[in-house]
Amino acid sequence: MSSTSQTSGAMARRQAMAAPSRAQRLRYRLKIALREPTTTIGILAAALFAYLIVVPIISMLSDAMRVQFGDERRIKQDVGDLTWYYIERVFASRVSYDLFWGPLVNTLSVAVGAIALSMLVGGTLAWLLSRTDMFGRRWFATALIVPYMLPAWTFALAWTTLFKNRTVGGQPGWLESLGFTPPDWLAYGQVPVTIILALHYSPFVILLFGNALRRFDSQLEDSARILGASRLTVARKIIMPLMRPSLMSAMVLIFAKCLGEFGVPYVLGLPVNFDVLATSLYQNIASRQVGVGAVLAGSIMLIGIITITIDARLMREARRFVTIGSKGSMNRLSPLGAMRIPATAFAALMFLLSVGLPLMTLMLSTVMRVPAQFTLDNFTLDYWFGTDLNTVALQTGILLSPDLWNAAWNSLRIVGIASLTSGLLGLLVGYVVARTPVKPLGTFLRQVTFLPYLVPGIAFAAAYLSLFAVPRGPIPALYGTTLILMLALIADQMPYASRAGIAAMTQLGKEPEEAAQIAGAGWFRRMTSIVIPIQKGALTTGVLLPFISGIKGLSLFVVLAVPSTDVLTTYSLRLVDYNYTQAANAVVLIIAGLAYFGALLGQKLTKTNLAQGLGT
Amino acid sequence: MPKINLRGVEKNYGANAANAVADLDLDIGDGEFMCLLGPSGCGKTTTLRMIAGLEHLTAGEIRVGARVVDSVTEGVFVPPEKRDMGLVFQSYALWPHLTIERNTDFGLRLRKMPKAEREARVDQVMKTLGIEKYRERYPSQLSGGQQQRVALARMLAVNPEVLLLDEPLSNLDAALRLEMRAELKRLHREFKTTIVFVTHDQWEAMTLATTIAVMSEGQLQQVGTPNDIYDRPANRFVAQFVGNPPINIVELGNGKSEVSRLARQYLGERYAELGDAGSIGIRPESLRLADAERGVAEGAFSGQAEVTGILPTGGSWIIELTAAGEKLFMTTHQSPEVEVGDAVTFWVKPKALHVFDAEGNRSEAADRLFRPVKVH
Repeated sequence: MSSTSQTSGAMARRQAMAAPSRAQRLRYRLKIALREPTTTIGILAAALFAYLIVVPIISMLSDAMRVQFGDERRIKQDVGDLTWYYIERVFASRVSYDLFWGPLVNTLSVAVGAIALSMLVGGTLAWLLSRTDMFGRRWFATALIVPYMLPAWTFALAWTTLFKNRTVGGQPGWLESLGFTPPDWLAYGQVPVTIILALHYSPFVILLFGNALRRFDSQLEDSARILGASRLTVARKIIMPLMRPSLMSAMVLIFAKCLGEFGVPYVLGLPVNFDVLATSLYQNIASRQVGVGAVLAGSIMLIGIITITIDARLMREARRFVTIGSKGSMNRLSPLGAMRIPATAFAALMFLLSVGLPLMTLMLSTVMRVPAQFTLDNFTLDYWFGTDLNTVALQTGILLSPDLWNAAWNSLRIVGIASLTSGLLGLLVGYVVARTPVKPLGTFLRQVTFLPYLVPGIAFAAAYLSLFAVPRGPIPALYGTTLILMLALIADQMPYASRAGIAAMTQLGKEPEEAAQIAGAGWFRRMTSIVIPIQKGALTTGVLLPFISGIKGLSLFVVLAVPSTDVLTTYSLRLVDYNYTQAANAVVLIIAGLAYFGALLGQKLTKTNLAQGLGT
Repeated sequence: MPKINLRGVEKNYGANAANAVADLDLDIGDGEFMCLLGPSGCGKTTTLRMIAGLEHLTAGEIRVGARVVDSVTEGVFVPPEKRDMGLVFQSYALWPHLTIERNTDFGLRLRKMPKAEREARVDQVMKTLGIEKYRERYPSQLSGGQQQRVALARMLAVNPEVLLLDEPLSNLDAALRLEMRAELKRLHREFKTTIVFVTHDQWEAMTLATTIAVMSEGQLQQVGTPNDIYDRPANRFVAQFVGNPPINIVELGNGKSEVSRLARQYLGERYAELGDAGSIGIRPESLRLADAERGVAEGAFSGQAEVTGILPTGGSWIIELTAAGEKLFMTTHQSPEVEVGDAVTFWVKPKALHVFDAEGNRSEAADRLFRPVKVH
């Protein structure tokens, strides 16, 4: 019996087993890598995303440095030559204040104002919702998130409906009709844009800050109190430092969102020439200033990248703090006492201001001939279903207009196909990232699909325009087609889709699939009977979330859509431009309804809180 | 003919990483119940997964019967689904979206077995494992033990040539574990499958295996029957890893304690040829205390110590002895007649001494001296 050990025997045998040569190792690894379609799919996906995401961005950035068609004379160089002209024009010329610095200042001041206001309102609400005994906390917790589910410029339209003055034509605002003329500063520009963005983004603060507050262990507070700290000291030395990462993160996110926000400043800023970076970019693209547009888009992108990098840092820091949450974590509610009713009233008021009032205004405006005249004969449903109306165009109610149905069909088709595609691609990316033996491929896919997250939608749309406006090689000019909208939307949604896919695949782990493999199932069989059935829920979320944000999305479409490819959002904007107030408001209400009920449906289907997913 | 042969198998997860498995040669015989035993991170699960084909080799070759299933030099790789093996995962990895019945007949459906035959087979396996009542349930509705049985049933249904088990009992509570161990042993007898079982639990390995392979840091330390492993550990690692309470190790070379000095003197006086010995190991149950009637046995290694602790473990006792600062643990099944603080004389029979050389390998010279009968 070889009782002691095999070691000496093994020594002898080892001589027979020569170490494999490099070529042999390579052949073996290649055989394994190519045995399953995972790697092949990964390579195809990487090529696809390189083309859909990286190439447009590079193409746009190179536009910023090359003489564009039509500018040869002015620049005195040939089309395509390298030039600093556009960069100089944007940053250091007579018009650079109007092009860049002014809009930059406006963007920053709107963002800072919106952040401060939403911190104040959202922070208070977050505290009331998560740490006090305010009435109806559960109901408010959902109700106060609703503003984020509605498109931001819903509020902008409601605002103009109320506050519009004679600076612009068309139907007067309600206040004007009632005999009180709102001054320009109240009707347009910085003040309303700031207020609306603050209302729209305060759900961020409620979600992020509220979560941090809920996780906060009351025992930490108690320990400080027992050691003799006053309430104020506890707030200053214990609570605030621990809450800082979540607050900072909310601030950074709001800033990034404000940077790309187009609809609100477009509706409310234009009448008084209040430009932000996004609208300045839009105007340059609309007037075919490709080079200048590229520089502006690049600048927006750069600011976006910086902000998101800061956010990533902060999230890491926040995670460091999470670990202190102990097992016996307690979440004690502070009694509000006499303040209980005023606090509840405050929450109710905020709900009224951010949801009730805007929606009510829009709703009423669509059934009234003359604004703010509350007599029975002024009410009509003509704007919804009327026929033979006395207008230049759009002589039927909005629901009878073929344009609406065309736009609605486009919206559903474009956004639907794009969401479905990006959801499936996301799952596929997740699968490749989790499974491929070729690690760099996984890393590349993860990073490339995340890239659009750093680029505000309007800059991304500009990049698409730059690449696909003209025929390139075998690919015809796509501008004006629905395909370009779909492709841009797919690329724009990939960060969310691939993140969902990677999370789902990582969470699933390899083992259920390996078990099937051991049982004798080949790749295709494993995908169809194990992986996809298990990931049904994740796939639903991965399709539905992009669908909702796509339905209410504006900035991507406004650059890429033409009248024949109008979607609901661009159609309503066109109606705004032509002063069909009632019709525009009706379309916006339809969008808001779609987005809201879509979110509800998703919540039902996946039994999750989608509101939280929408925040990120 | 050995069923599974591993030759020069090596696994490296990255250019700069240490080998997860290094230069492994292992033969697993037909119908054997082989346990891969070692602490976590020793490469035992990696080895199992390489046998299954779920992990790829960096170098070496694996054969099953006459067939090469994996070879870097020959560029052969048979994918897991074509190896005709069964693997039960530590987490069971049941498919959450399929009923117990569908989980169990998955492999049979893949093999396109006719319906009647398939149902008969599933019935048989489910009955053997006592899970026939859960047919229509989903995995999440079963307890851990039941899930474990389903995981086994799923693999046994296809009657694999080789059954691989990756710590399948580690998620079960103690009572259930004992029951499942008996069941595994029964299944092994009944199905006569070759089983490779990975565990870090020496007790499990001892009770189940026909052969144990002890691994540490990617290296194979010893292969042998459970008794071999316990009675003749090939090196200090094996000696210390197997046995509870662990073996007492007395350093010889540079040990400065009183016991070390005594041990050096003992070996030097009687067995001068063991001059290169580095340490000796004494199993706790081999230690004896001298009393009035029976003194120190003839030729035994002995010394003076103080009783510094008595720990009853229910039916047996662990006694902590301190000899000039060095601690020795002994176990006894008789109620100890000493108390904490007593001065005692301990002794060990020479054949119970495990002598290791300076590298920590078992000294064959010492075995020849102490256990002349057992060496063939």
